[in-house]
Amino acid sequence: MRIAVCLKLVPASTSDIRVAPGGQSLLLAGVEMAVSLYDEYALETALCLREALPGSTIHALSIGGEECVKCLQHALALGVDSVLHIRAPGADSRAAAKLAAAALRLLELDLVLCGRQACDDDLWFFPGALGEALGWPHLSAVSSVAADGDKRAVECRRRFEGGEQFIHAPWPVVISCDRGPHEPRIPMLKGRLAAKKMPVPVKTTSELGIAAADLTPALAVLRYAPPAQRTPKKVFTCPPTDAAAELVRLLREEEKLI
Amino acid sequence: MNTLAVIEHAGGEPDGAVLEVLSVAHSLARQSGGVVSAFVAGPLGSDVAGYLAGWGVDKACVAAGGVETYLPLYWAQLIADTARAENAVVVLLRANALGRDIAGRVAARLGGALAADCVGLSVVDGKVRLERPVFSGRVFVTAEFSGPGPLVATLRPNVFSAEMPDKPGAGRVVTLAAKVAQASGLRRNPEDCATVIATELARDTGKHLELSEATAIVAGGRGVGSAEGFRMILELAEVLGAAPGASRAAVDAGYAPHALQIGQSGKTVNPALYVACGISGSMQHLAGMRTSKCIVAINKDPGAPIFRFCDYGIVGDLFDVVPALIAQLDRTIWDGQRKMRCIVPLKERRRQ
Repeated sequence: MRIAVCLKLVPASTSDIRVAPGGQSLLLAGVEMAVSLYDEYALETALCLREALPGSTIHALSIGGEECVKCLQHALALGVDSVLHIRAPGADSRAAAKLAAAALRLLELDLVLCGRQACDDDLWFFPGALGEALGWPHLSAVSSVAADGDKRAVECRRRFEGGEQFIHAPWPVVISCDRGPHEPRIPMLKGRLAAKKMPVPVKTTSELGIAAADLTPALAVLRYAPPAQRTPKKVFTCPPTDAAAELVRLLREEEKLI
Repeated sequence: MNTLAVIEHAGGEPDGAVLEVLSVAHSLARQSGGVVSAFVAGPLGSDVAGYLAGWGVDKACVAAGGVETYLPLYWAQLIADTARAENAVVVLLRANALGRDIAGRVAARLGGALAADCVGLSVVDGKVRLERPVFSGRVFVTAEFSGPGPLVATLRPNVFSAEMPDKPGAGRVVTLAAKVAQASGLRRNPEDCATVIATELARDTGKHLELSEATAIVAGGRGVGSAEGFRMILELAEVLGAAPGASRAAVDAGYAPHALQIGQSGKTVNPALYVACGISGSMQHLAGMRTSKCIVAINKDPGAPIFRFCDYGIVGDLFDVVPALIAQLDRTIWDGQRKMRCIVPLKERRRQ
């Protein structure tokens, strides 16, 4: 099967993201960047599927400025078959879906994998928008994917509130990945060094036939703000029974929560 | 500015999350002189019109077929068609599994924009203004939308207050086109490009309350030490009428299933009360719970980061503190009369 994986470079999940004075921008210079967590699950899913169906190929794609070559080198180090960098600095999820669809259409794919959400804009927009642009169905926040090469279909599991769904979907389909049964593998040093020497093909937005007007951000940012700070009202260090009694009183009488 | 509220419902009385969506739809329409429509997926009981009118709905567009079936393209198509027909400028959904699944598709189909997990929505100078968390809650962004196309927004649960409007809406009911409504059950709509079939649904066995929209949560971390230790978390959750949750460390160690995981690579929750037991408070865990209204931390390490993000803390061994809390709550809430396996949500119990 021919599989594409869409990867986004985002600030590492442990990095501290500060708002510039005035709230008009974010201080992202020097912040460590990494492949978005759920995109890593998507890549892991692709690698597992290729192992299960010999002869399959994986094509990794990343959209953004020069920095997203890092995502593609990560994918190359893990042994994907080809990569493509779509140069579109500042593209938002809506623009990215249009660009990805234009590039992926040329690849005759069976399956496109991505993360359930990007760990920067947290929009959950890309998978549905990509499915729509390709005219394919999409399955979102899927926790496991098994492929049946004869039936040309995938069997997926997906959590919803209060249960789990088992889904049968013929190819082609867009699948967004949640945390699955396998943790993302980490490339070996040898693979990483080799990947740095491999060429990364680039396409521009105009080469993909997408006009600048189609790339306008969907939302205009007015300001950024850090989350509200919380100061502990009371931290108990007294014996547990006393602490429990006082806490329950506070939650009942002061907070009116119980 | 016309609004469309997507009411996804499995029957009976709508829960708080549905009412939050209706309230926001009404408030936006009122601010800008528009009409409130509701897209109703699934049965709402007999007096749909009256009920929704009471919540300010002018027109209810009812679709056949249960929400328990997985038909994202079917719902996306119906919702997009309804949004067009009603000339909706804002389409509102819950930020749950179904809402998140179809919102992006609906936005793309309508050529509009998506804003997920909104914690604020208003109309300012004829434009929709929204506030939402980004970077896993490390930053909040305020943004403006002025088209083209409608804004599709999912709402973070337990943020907006559900307020019944003074004046009821017109409450007309329209049943959506028969050719689409025929596609009930697990069969797909023939005109749909979908070939996706949900082959099976496995309902959780109802042992405890569901996390995503819970108003109270008790979560256990690595500190619980074992699956046996996690039972204490389940019991505290029961006493409180809370949903149990777990940190990634507890899930990875096998103390709790992944369905209970809170934080990055798990669920994002926003309860009124969050009790963190034996959770140190990593950035990834905070990402999933930091907007909770009241956070209680129990940890034996006074230097644990969670103590900087809580409202109340107890420094102590959770194997001493949690049983003491359970005993105290048993006396205070239940007068010692608690029945085991009590799973009444906190909010509903307070109403009784």
